Amino acid sequence: MSAQTLMSILTSGLMLGVLYALMAFGLAIVWTTLGIFNFAHGAFIAAGAYIAWQFGSVDAFGFGFWPALLASVLLMFGLGVLLQYLLIRPFERQAQMVLLTVITTLAGATIINSLLSIVWGPRAKQIAPAFDGDLVWGLLRISGQELMMVALVGATLLALAWFLLHTPLGRCMRAVAQNREAAQLMGLDVPRLYALTFGLSAAIAGLAGVMIGSTRFMTPSMGDDPLQKALVVVILGGVARFTAPVYAAFLVGFAEAFLTYFVGLYWTPTLLFLGMIGVLVVKPEGLFGQRQRSV
Amino acid sequence: MTPLLLIESLSGGYEPVQTFKEVNLTVEAGACIGLFGPNGHGKTTLLRTISGLIDPWAGRIVFDGVQLNRPGEHRSRQSRQLNYDVLQRRRMDPKKVARAGLIQVAQGSTLFPELTVAETLSMAPLVARAGGRSVDADRVLALFPRLKERLRSKARFLSGGERQMLAMACGLLAAPRLLMLDEPTLGLSPKLRLELADAIHAIRATGVPIIVVDQDVEFLRELVDTLHVFDHGSISRVLPRAEIPQHEALMAEMFGGGH
Repeated sequence: MSAQTLMSILTSGLMLGVLYALMAFGLAIVWTTLGIFNFAHGAFIAAGAYIAWQFGSVDAFGFGFWPALLASVLLMFGLGVLLQYLLIRPFERQAQMVLLTVITTLAGATIINSLLSIVWGPRAKQIAPAFDGDLVWGLLRISGQELMMVALVGATLLALAWFLLHTPLGRCMRAVAQNREAAQLMGLDVPRLYALTFGLSAAIAGLAGVMIGSTRFMTPSMGDDPLQKALVVVILGGVARFTAPVYAAFLVGFAEAFLTYFVGLYWTPTLLFLGMIGVLVVKPEGLFGQRQRSV
Repeated sequence: MTPLLLIESLSGGYEPVQTFKEVNLTVEAGACIGLFGPNGHGKTTLLRTISGLIDPWAGRIVFDGVQLNRPGEHRSRQSRQLNYDVLQRRRMDPKKVARAGLIQVAQGSTLFPELTVAETLSMAPLVARAGGRSVDADRVLALFPRLKERLRSKARFLSGGERQMLAMACGLLAAPRLLMLDEPTLGLSPKLRLELADAIHAIRATGVPIIVVDQDVEFLRELVDTLHVFDHGSISRVLPRAEIPQHEALMAEMFGGGH
């Protein structure tokens, strides 16, 4: 393996790691706060990408990349709040809530995917990137758009961490995630915090969609594969803290990049899922978790 | 004068198990009442229902003249040969309960494991402000000097006693108009029990009405105006302070002389 190949594997791993970190973070805040797994997260990614395409592409509204990104994130936040009302809120006080919401979020995913196919068609599209061309720096070769997205997503994750740790609203969101009943007894507005959390998660998914859609191609089912990988990430990392899946995301990202080079595209998911099962057997609370929220 | 809290034939539990039935309870302004009864007879479930964490099955909870639970009714539905009894639960909103000033300090609550004491305390007065009540934070913290030394540590590193103090401080920072304490001294060392008992007496002295659930009759005798004996899911007797018997005698009355 040449140094050139190693560099490109590392770049690819970094890209994947950042993407998975973003996805897993969105899944983890919903899982720790609402106590449910959102199977529509992959569809949110696709929806975010198509909204951005609609606003940004010269074939549609043609506002360019940055207004498209902003529109995608804002609209996805609104869509997240709306879907939380439709798919999750009605089942909140039921004993079988976790199971019911598995079905409702899967249904939501299917509906969103089909709507995207109906409105925009199944043909692959790409969001016009903000930067063209590659940057070459020694052995490192990365496209300008990819580098910008990595920086943007990194900054977003840091900003979210700051928001959760240092603002009163973020503190309330963490409080609800850690102990819902104590938060209720303190009179925190739990339904509103649930809606906010879900909206935030959907907005993050929108950003992930723009990231995929502007560096690769997009189809209505583009979110399915990242969702699977994010599931591996969340289980590997554990969700005791919001930060735990971020470490696991880079682990999975680099593992995927190396495995794809050594064993090929088809064996990589198999080995990743085997690894996940291994972790579940040996350390069910996740590699970086101390305790898993009980369902 | 209307009582501060009026509970009328309240029933509830965790479906399908009913844990308390037809409970009537009245708390006047300024009163302190004790709730005593064996484990597993539904005291905690009753308090959780009053706070709105679970929905009552039947009955009314009226706080300061406002009914907190939505009225509901039984509906029957026939489908094929089966009769479904559909009970519309009397929905409650815990936020509304807390904003009205009916504050519960839960039993052995772990609070927020990853939040520091200071962060936890900073959230507690939000509900008081939302309800239009003012809080004197310094006076509350003066009751629990230990907390001032632990402001920067996370709740999961606190001892059981410190955590209970934090929970009580949070309850007081919510500027309660009625404070419900669920076994505040459960599982604590005798020294800490005394410290917490002192704090509860101090709270009592400020005139805040209190409902306190405890297993310690001696502690309750010194604190409460009336003792409500909770037995098999309902209040079987109400004893004024002077008539509260010794712990042994009370247990013997409830379970027969064998104990």
